Amino acid sequence: MRVLLVEDSADLGQAVREQIAEDGHAVDWVQRLEHAALSVRSTAYDLILLDLMLPDGGGIDFLRKRRAAGDATPVIILTARDQLSDRIAGLNAGADDYLVKPFDLSELSARVAAVARRYSGNPNPQIELGGLRIDLSHRTIQRGAAMIDLTAREWALFETFLQRPGALFSKAQLEERLYEFGAEIESNTIEVHISHLRKKLGFQVVETVRGVGYRLGTA
Amino acid sequence: MKTPQSLQRQLVYGLTLGLVMFWLLAALVSALVVRQRLDQTFDNAMLEAAQRILPLAVLDILDREETILPQRVAPLTTQQKGFSYVVRDSRGNILLQSFSADPAVFGPLALSGFASTATHRLYGTSALRETLFLQIAEPLAYRQTAARDASVALLLPLLFLIPASLFGIWLFVRFSLRSLRGYGLAIEARGVGNLSPIHGGRLPAEIRPIADAVNHLLERLRRALESERRFAANSAHELRTPLAATLAQVQRLRHDAPAGPLQARAVQIEASLKELSRLAEKLMQLAKAEGGGVLAEVPQDLAMLLAHVVADLQRTTDVPIEASLPAPGSVFSLIDADAFAILARNLIENACKHGAQDHAVEVTLSASARLRVVNAGSIVAAAAGAAARPLRARGQPRRGLWPRSGNCLDHCQRRRRRVAAGLTRQRQGGRVRGRGAICSRSAAMIHPPVAGALRGDLAVMATPCLPRLALRLRVLPSPRGLGDRARRNKAAE
Repeated sequence: MRVLLVEDSADLGQAVREQIAEDGHAVDWVQRLEHAALSVRSTAYDLILLDLMLPDGGGIDFLRKRRAAGDATPVIILTARDQLSDRIAGLNAGADDYLVKPFDLSELSARVAAVARRYSGNPNPQIELGGLRIDLSHRTIQRGAAMIDLTAREWALFETFLQRPGALFSKAQLEERLYEFGAEIESNTIEVHISHLRKKLGFQVVETVRGVGYRLGTA
Repeated sequence: MKTPQSLQRQLVYGLTLGLVMFWLLAALVSALVVRQRLDQTFDNAMLEAAQRILPLAVLDILDREETILPQRVAPLTTQQKGFSYVVRDSRGNILLQSFSADPAVFGPLALSGFASTATHRLYGTSALRETLFLQIAEPLAYRQTAARDASVALLLPLLFLIPASLFGIWLFVRFSLRSLRGYGLAIEARGVGNLSPIHGGRLPAEIRPIADAVNHLLERLRRALESERRFAANSAHELRTPLAATLAQVQRLRHDAPAGPLQARAVQIEASLKELSRLAEKLMQLAKAEGGGVLAEVPQDLAMLLAHVVADLQRTTDVPIEASLPAPGSVFSLIDADAFAILARNLIENACKHGAQDHAVEVTLSASARLRVVNAGSIVAAAAGAAARPLRARGQPRRGLWPRSGNCLDHCQRRRRRVAAGLTRQRQGGRVRGRGAICSRSAAMIHPPVAGALRGDLAVMATPCLPRLALRLRVLPSPRGLGDRARRNKAAE
């Protein structure tokens, strides 16, 4: 997933970015709302992690404007305002979830995954794909009794396909969803990851549509 | 405390009493003046009568052959009332007298001018160089009857005027005080948390400064509460953000550190930071409990608020929580949303913490605003609540306080005081009642009176093994009902 992190605290922002990146997502981190506005105009994000009290304004107003403009990107609010009224205000403004600081990074990862699943149209974290039993919440894959391990990038790539079964993704789209701004990407990075997925999960798990891209197959 | 006296009643009674007193005084003076004028009139009549009778009497006496023999004048009618007279010579012998004259009334000697006896008014005059004397007598009763009739004529209208004045003054005062009464009703009808300015309408000039002062006071209070809320929010931000950053960095460090002493140290620091975060959260909740912003300006939907609280706790607590809530928009109260959330969260957290871990905590909010939190477990020690109190008294944290107990009972108590709510705690197997602190061992129930006609129950309970808590809050009808009430008040104004 391509995630936009809007957080003015350098220490917290760095740690959150590392955590989300480790989960296999591409994270763009900005510390001001004006930068966030520029980012959402230039890139299609799958999720926004939004702080509420930022140096150049309130996150709630930013969120309201995005929703008023028709932007349906999932938003998780990360804030120090723990009052229930603030939470209700945030959810009423269009947020999908609300996480009060200080929080566990694992909790953040779980919330991110839950929101992503909800937006994919299948909130159930248990997926059966051919002979594979996939648990998105615990990030496990089983073929029969055997566990299959994936790296974070492989998970992120596989999750992208799982979220929209049947949809075609171009190589550029997949790169955009997996890597943040300024990341150094080799020209065959996506092919390498897909190759690894096929080796671990089966050749049919990802289908190649020549000249167009890739889509989820049957394991 | 004495019942306040009605200004309208005071004005009506005072003005009526004053008016009656002035009327009575005026009537008394008038009666005295009338009596004096009557006396003068009657005296003049006696004088005129003497001046007419005396020449005739002199001629009659001089024409007599035997002047010494007394004669009595025959009456013209049989009902002779009023004057009687006698004519005497210089030696006092009666020469002529009216038919009804009683010589005893006139005395033995002749007199000149006016005089009064106990029963009569007398007038005497003389003729022929004081050789003949005429005396006229008139009964005083005659004058007294006339004076009494005049006085009655003056006082009789008062019997009708006093009730009429009372009613008129009552009507006028009531009409004059209608704006003041409307102002009072406007204050009475508004909720305790409503700090918006009070519309004074057409208040009298004497009351207008008071209404302005009340509005200024409300505005200052509203600003103070708003500042307090803002301060609490900013404090939370200033405290939580660095904590969150540090915790996140430590978690990253723990994740990146190789297995061994460094990772163990990171785990310890992470645990300490989490405990510090929890303590900071509790302290901020206490600060909010100490603050004045416990009452909301608009009714709050308790079902919706409780649903949020439960949903939040269901994600963070290992103990299952089973909630049974009415539909949103069906239970309203003037308690502040955040205060209610802190209260409910504390109760449920403690029910989870002190209850059996394998039994679900039941959270029920009935349509009649009775909230029940039920768990299974051992009875909470009274010290758990009491231990929190010295912290509030001294304003300094006590070591080991937070890990041992939550502060839900203290929160309940504080919020109950601020919203004039009732709080009940019941133990299994019996119900103990008394007044005092909720956390003490013997004082188990506090039910202060709830003001207003619109009242209901919000009970918080933890049964069967925890003491059962019941909290009475002022529960309001739906905003629709409140709107009708506001319209009625406006119409009354």
